[in-house]
Order: sequence, then C-alpha cells, then structure tokens
Amino acid sequence: MSDKENLSYMQVSSPAVVTRKRSSRATPAWWVIFTRELQQLWLGGKAPLLLFAFFVLQSMLTYFLASNTSDPTPPKEMVYFTLQNAIAFGLLIGLLTGADAISGERERLTLESLLLTPASRRQIVIGKFLAGISPWPVALAISIPFLAVVAQGDEVLGPAVLWGTLVGSMLAMSFVCLGMLASLFSNSNKTSLSISLTLYIIMFIPTQLQGGAQKGTMGYLLKRVNPMESVNHFLENVLVNNRAAERMAPWLASPIILAIIVYVLLFLYTIPELGLDVEEMGIFRWGGRRHEDLL
Amino acid sequence: MAESKNFAAPRTGAEVLLAKDLRKFYGPREALKGLSFSLKAGRILGFLGPNGAGKTTAIRILTTILQPDAGQFFVDNISSEYPNEIRRRIGVLPESLGFHKQMTGLECLVFFARLYGCSATAAKSNGLSLLKDVGLEQRAKSLVGSYSRGMRQRLGIARALVNDPAVVFLDEPTLGLDPRGQRELLELVQRISAERNVGIVLCSHDLPEVESVCDDVVILSLGQVVASGTVDDVIGHGQSRKSGAMQKSSVRIKVPAELVAQAEKALEAMSSVAQVIFTNEMGGWLRVELESALDGRQNQIKNKMLEALIRADIPVLGFEAEGSRLQDVFLQLTNN
Repeated sequence: MSDKENLSYMQVSSPAVVTRKRSSRATPAWWVIFTRELQQLWLGGKAPLLLFAFFVLQSMLTYFLASNTSDPTPPKEMVYFTLQNAIAFGLLIGLLTGADAISGERERLTLESLLLTPASRRQIVIGKFLAGISPWPVALAISIPFLAVVAQGDEVLGPAVLWGTLVGSMLAMSFVCLGMLASLFSNSNKTSLSISLTLYIIMFIPTQLQGGAQKGTMGYLLKRVNPMESVNHFLENVLVNNRAAERMAPWLASPIILAIIVYVLLFLYTIPELGLDVEEMGIFRWGGRRHEDLL
Repeated sequence: MAESKNFAAPRTGAEVLLAKDLRKFYGPREALKGLSFSLKAGRILGFLGPNGAGKTTAIRILTTILQPDAGQFFVDNISSEYPNEIRRRIGVLPESLGFHKQMTGLECLVFFARLYGCSATAAKSNGLSLLKDVGLEQRAKSLVGSYSRGMRQRLGIARALVNDPAVVFLDEPTLGLDPRGQRELLELVQRISAERNVGIVLCSHDLPEVESVCDDVVILSLGQVVASGTVDDVIGHGQSRKSGAMQKSSVRIKVPAELVAQAEKALEAMSSVAQVIFTNEMGGWLRVELESALDGRQNQIKNKMLEALIRADIPVLGFEAEGSRLQDVFLQLTNN
C-alpha cells in the first residue's frame, strides 16, 4: 500500500473505531495521582515534619499564653491568637506543599513521563491540589485541643472552631493554589519556594504589626487588600469584640477574591498550558531562546 | 495488562507509525520541514541526526508533547487529532529519565499502569511480569533510588511497556551505560521488538549501535529527512552517491602502529593505489585511495592489497571499505 493510500485509509480511523477497551471500573487518573501524592507527602515525611513543627510552636504559644498569671490575657484573645497562629502556619504548609507540586516534578525529571500518560493536565493538577490541601485539616485538628485549653471553658471555642474551619479552609485552598501557580511557572523548586515565601512574607508581616502601625486610608486599604490581615480582622472582631459575623462579612472580600483569582488562573487558564518547562508554556512564548534546546 | 488483551495487537508488518509532512516553526525558524516516514510493527527504526537537526522536536510531536504546525501523524491507525488516544498506544523512554526515588520499581510500574486505567491487581501482576522481562524481578521491591543507571534504564523500558503500546520511543537508551550494559540493553530492545511485535523508534548518536540493531533508519538534517529506508539501502545509497560524485573508492586498513611506514611503502608500490594516508587514529589506521576507473575490479584490487601486506609480513588488524558504514553515510549526508 502506498503512503497516499495508507493516509486515506488511516484518516477514517478514529478512536471510536479502535479505542482500547478499558476497565469499566478504572480508577480516575486524578485519584491515582492524588493517592500517590498523599503517600509521598505523608509517608515521605514532609507533612509529618511540618506538622510536628506546628505542634511544637502551638504548644509553646499555648504554654506562654496560659501560664501568664501576672498579666492574664482574656480567654477570647488567647483563642484568637491561637487560631491566628494555626491559620498562619497552616497556610505556610499549604504554600510549601503547593510550591513543590509541578517544579518538583520538573526538577526530578518525572513530569514528562506523567504528561505522556492519558491523564489530562487538569487531572494531574487536581490530584496534586487535593494532596496539597491534606495537611490543613490535620493542622486544624491539632489546634483544637490547644484552643480548648486557652478557651478555659469560654463559649468562644465553638465559634472559633467554626470560623477557623470556614475561613481557614478557604485561605488554605487559595494558598495551595498560589504555591502551585508559582510552581507551574518555575523550572526548579528553589525558584518556586522563593516566590511562594516572598508572597507569604509580604502578606504575613503586616499581620504582626501593632494595630496603630497601619493608619490612614492607605493603612486601611492595605488591611482590606491583604487576605491574611482581612481574615484576622474578621476573626478578631467576631471572636474577641463580639461583632456580628454578617456585619464583618465585607472583610472576607479579599480572601474570596483571592480564591476566585487563583482558581481561575490555575484551573482554567494555566493548566492547558502546562509544559515540560516554563518556556514551553504558551503564555511564555515570547521568544525562541529555549527552543534551540528542542531542536 | 489484563485490559489490553481486548485490543488487537498490530499485525506483523502492519504500519504502526506514519508521519506525513510534519512541520514545526519556532518563531520564524522552521525546525521541521515536512517530516515524513513510516514504521512497521516488529521493526526497529533508528532516528538519527546531528544536534539541532530537529530530532527532539520530532519526537515531542510524535509523543504528543508538542503540536505540529502542519502535517499529521498516525499511531496504530489513530490520527494525531486524538492525542489522548495516541498516548494510550505509545510508550516512551525519554532521554531525561526521572523516577520518584522513594518508590520501589514495582510501585512505579503499578502507578503508571493505573494511570492507563488498569485495576490495582492487574497492574501489579503486569508490573511483576514486566520486571521479569527486563531482568529486574529480584529488585522489584527495592527503592528506585538504589538502582544503578542501567537498572533505571531497564525500569524505564518496562514503564514504557505498561500500556502494551504499538510504538515505543527510546531516546538515547544506552547513554551513560558501560559497554556490557549497552549490549544487554540493546539485546533487550531487539527481544521486545520481536516478542511483542511493537515498532520501536530508537534515537541515538551511537551509529554503530543503530547499525547493529535497527532494521530501518531515518536521517534528519536541518529539519528534513536526508535519507530513509532500510539500513542496507541507506548505506548503499550513500556509497553510490559517493562513487558517483568522486569516481574513486577507498578502503581503511588497520595495521600495528609500529608497522605503519612499512605498510604504506608496500601499498604505494601497487599501481592501482592512488594514495595512502595515515589517519592518525588510534591503532594505526591507513586510508587507501584507489585509482579511478577500476570498475568491477575493486574487489580484485582489495585482495591484492591484502596479499601485498601479508607478503610483507604485516598483520592486517582491520579492513573495511570506506563508505560501507552508517557512520560514513551519516557524516556524508549531514555535512552542512
């Protein structure tokens, strides 16, 4: 058969005709990737190590708060501090986990093999995202006994756990996405971690400033724009100052906007472009420098 | 894998890969200028070209990592318009081979088999069988981090076979292996091709290796095919091109280094020898150019040269007609 004949013969072939029969109970690829990532994150020791550090930090904070008898802090404030600390550390863990997701595969030269399987890019990212958020519920669960200790029987414990779970989870998922975005645009973990930590520090440092440090319209705006600060402001007012959550809800605008932006960027815009290296990704096709390597 | 039994294996000799006028541009630069070739089941195709010829681009297009700007290709009758289905029918051993070092060899194969829709039980039995095929059954439960380079290449080949592919792409499979490792791996590649009836595309810069294991060859230069066909055809084509262009043939003779001068003298004394050149290669290789217009008498002259050397008590350590090796043809065709 000539090439021409072959071509016309093959053009009529479509997957509908020749597709391999797969197991009807086949596990979805995202689940296979998720379980592999979970195994590596937890059995590989990364998540337990970070959570152990978190546990030590929470223990120290709780001890200092609870043992300060000379100038005792009210239980509501102690609960707020403990929750603030739990969320801040939980976000850091999420960010670090997300930051390793894609650039780590690139660095270990394992991304190509993954992209060569029938698993779609979206399935790969979803599996990694789900594994990336897995340390957050554990961090939250670790925090609950500490919250109970510092609450000293105060009724603030229930709302603290409720709001901590709601806003903390929203932020944790956003930060995993943020880390993954940094990872998608990095060829090495070093770059990805640097970007992620810089972003984290930019958002975290203002939360450690005294209340009077951010004054005026600009200070107010920065507080509203920074998702970590907005959430802290919301929690402080709801848990410590007994303000109604509905009244403080506008302070949740920036974490919600952050969530929307990172989800859209990660799952809709960036995933289809996921490539072997950053320069190969469509949104980075501004020049041919790296293409020389491909020839 | 169990599921793959439902899929008919390609018939022996059936076309499993057909590339038709593939083109790829990087900005204004055309990296592939209409790549066309085909590969049949059970055959090994050497995919050659100097650095920058477009090999990596071509392989990345054929493995669906990159999209062509023009042209089409088919893997096991599936058009490149269906990249997901293509990925189900190919296996790839990339040049930059990476593994999760905390996984065992078996876990690695099970993971990939499951990504192809295999159940956990089937993936495990398939993985064990593949590890046995590539000689790693004893190390199935060892961490990949503890594997040698050769073992990782073998595991990479096993991984490329988890989906029972119709075409396997092997990019520099013997790179970094010692001679024994290279030989064993190439034997494995030949065995896989024959036993599994898969078409294998072998990219390598090691031309003697390609010549020894490949049935067919495609030589790329500056993004276009400059030669394709069976290895013998391509070598023959190179020889005829050369004789057509130069009307002069030459042979290479290896003698002990200390007898080079004596050998030169003995050969230059022959009337049919135009020139004898010491090539400065290791071990005393001489390049002997024969006089033109020796049509039909080359073999006779070659015999006489050997006779002259033996009479002069010079041991002949090597003798080959120049242009008769794939390497010569490659250099000739890619000399841009």
